[in-house]
Amino acid sequence: MSVHDFWTPFSAGPFVNSLLIGLTLGAIWLLAALGLTIIYGTMGVINMAHGEFIMVGAYFTFMMQSMAGIPWLLCLPLAFIGVAILGWIVERLLIRYLYHRPLDTLLATWGVSLILVQGVRLIFGGEPQYVEVQPAALRESASIAFVHIPWLRIFILGATLALAAGTWAILYKTVYGVRVRAVMQNKEMAASFGINAQNVYGMTFAYGAGLAGVAGAMFGGLKTVFPDMGLGYIVEAFLVVVTGGGHLFGSIYSSAILGELNSVFSYFTNTTFARFVLFVLIVVFLRFFPQGLFPEAKARR
Amino acid sequence: MNRTGGNLYHNSTAQWLAYIALFGLLAIIPVVGAEPFQLRTFAGYAVFAMLAVSVSMVWGFGGILSLGQGIPYGLAAYCMGATMQMQFQTPDEPIPSFMLTNELEELPGVWKPFWHTHIGLILALGVPTLIMTVFGILMFQARLAGAFVAIMTLAMLNAFYSMAQDLQPFTAGFNGISPPNAFKAFGVEVDPYSPMMYWLALGVLAVVTFASKYMLQSKFGTIVQASRDDAERVRFLGYSVAYYQVVVFVFGGLIASLAGIVWVMIQQYVSPTALETPFSIYMVVWAAVGGRHSLFGAIVAAIVLNYLQTELADISETWQKAWLLILGGIFVAVVLLLPRGLAGAFEYLIGWIPFGGRSAKPAARPEAG
Repeated sequence: MSVHDFWTPFSAGPFVNSLLIGLTLGAIWLLAALGLTIIYGTMGVINMAHGEFIMVGAYFTFMMQSMAGIPWLLCLPLAFIGVAILGWIVERLLIRYLYHRPLDTLLATWGVSLILVQGVRLIFGGEPQYVEVQPAALRESASIAFVHIPWLRIFILGATLALAAGTWAILYKTVYGVRVRAVMQNKEMAASFGINAQNVYGMTFAYGAGLAGVAGAMFGGLKTVFPDMGLGYIVEAFLVVVTGGGHLFGSIYSSAILGELNSVFSYFTNTTFARFVLFVLIVVFLRFFPQGLFPEAKARR
Repeated sequence: MNRTGGNLYHNSTAQWLAYIALFGLLAIIPVVGAEPFQLRTFAGYAVFAMLAVSVSMVWGFGGILSLGQGIPYGLAAYCMGATMQMQFQTPDEPIPSFMLTNELEELPGVWKPFWHTHIGLILALGVPTLIMTVFGILMFQARLAGAFVAIMTLAMLNAFYSMAQDLQPFTAGFNGISPPNAFKAFGVEVDPYSPMMYWLALGVLAVVTFASKYMLQSKFGTIVQASRDDAERVRFLGYSVAYYQVVVFVFGGLIASLAGIVWVMIQQYVSPTALETPFSIYMVVWAAVGGRHSLFGAIVAAIVLNYLQTELADISETWQKAWLLILGGIFVAVVLLLPRGLAGAFEYLIGWIPFGGRSAKPAARPEAG
């Protein structure tokens, strides 16, 4: 293995292409991290089952397509609802007993993820399944001059931004959002003003899980669907959340930055080595800025 | 749980006796009679028990939830794999076959030290220790704790996993390194199927456990546990919490490295699976089910859970598939209902047995179980 195999020299066209790919990669990571941001930022729960919620969303979509023939675009909101219900059940049965032991939520949700992965494997088998993206135009690539990007990635970029905007609107423009932010800042004080904090937690967890469901419906179209697929998203999603500081805007910026960095490193070297460099960089960064890129000035738990 | 007399669980003599009984029981397995193949499997359980002890030290007693115990384990395993591979190579044929298929014309520089078995062993312990020291200082000087440490160790683990996969000419990528011959040292060949291998693994486990136990019962161990319970207060008392955390983190890493070395001696194989995320979390599961504040519990849980897994897999394929479902269920139930694991339940139950007289000091070291 000589240096030249490893190191790709700079050339403008492919480099710009990889920058654009990086943007869509950032969108994918943001989509995976969006629900996690809400759950971690609001409740301090480290949801290790988030990747499996994504996986369940993908299987749910696969099932709706293959059994009921529901068009893909309609599957997106249905996957949201389906996985949100699953998330709500998990919160009611398990998470709500663990709010005073935040680190134990990490362990308990890992247990949940084991059950989900193995349950799905028992039902559907281990072989990969495919979600068919419709309309068919989304399966092609956009090619302008030297830029080649699959339309699906562009669609995901747009959908992610729309979901982020929707989440922002819910958090900052509705009464429910005011309640969520009140509970986030001070649970006891919010409760003494008559906000049902338990209820807010349950709904927030369900919402975060629902976002994972939509993500799964889209990732299913992007790659294959298999029981372990959640593992491929969870680490990146956590890093996006932590690097961003655990709130919505932080996650948006950090996913864009991390996606671009990863893409640039991948361009010069290769994807796995880029992953190594990026992860080490993040760890060193977090050592000096544990509050993330955009620390919030507000009182936090 | 402070009834009259005190709890037998906290009696230090009783604790040492329990450990001696456990290891005595495990040691006679080859004498009582076991197939060579079974012995090799049992030796593997000793490795899992070491990993559970390592997690118990770092997390249960040090309060550092590390999801990256696979880092020292995997790195040591790779060093050991390289050492054993080079024992097979001769000066006429210095290049392992997987490197030839990756079109390497000479032995890479990083592989050269492994020509010498003793240097290879030193590297297998030294490299992970060095990395864990640097990583530990990096994290604990910044006073990172809790979820942050968990996520950072997870990220590091994944970084190393990518490297092991990517550096194919050096690590054989996905396929992994499989040294053809058993490990030889001091003129002795350690056959993986022999009672010697089993006793060696068990011996390392015993040494590791007693060293941990000794450490926990010293003043050092008391400060480590105090830092876990209230780091701020320990700082007020003038101790450098970061120092204690780094030491216990590196100590746990050292145990995991030993586990990695023994594992490769048993399996004659190392691949990126050693660095996979789920494996590192399983270590935490074993420690949590046994009781995070109990080395004894961690050892027993690691052995029993893995034994169950193997046995169920032998019954039928359905049981094999159902195992992870069962493990997940056990884990959720333990976290929810028995946060101190089976050892915690045992502590509670045995507390009902009246035990007076030479009661130990439950207030001083309540959890050094």
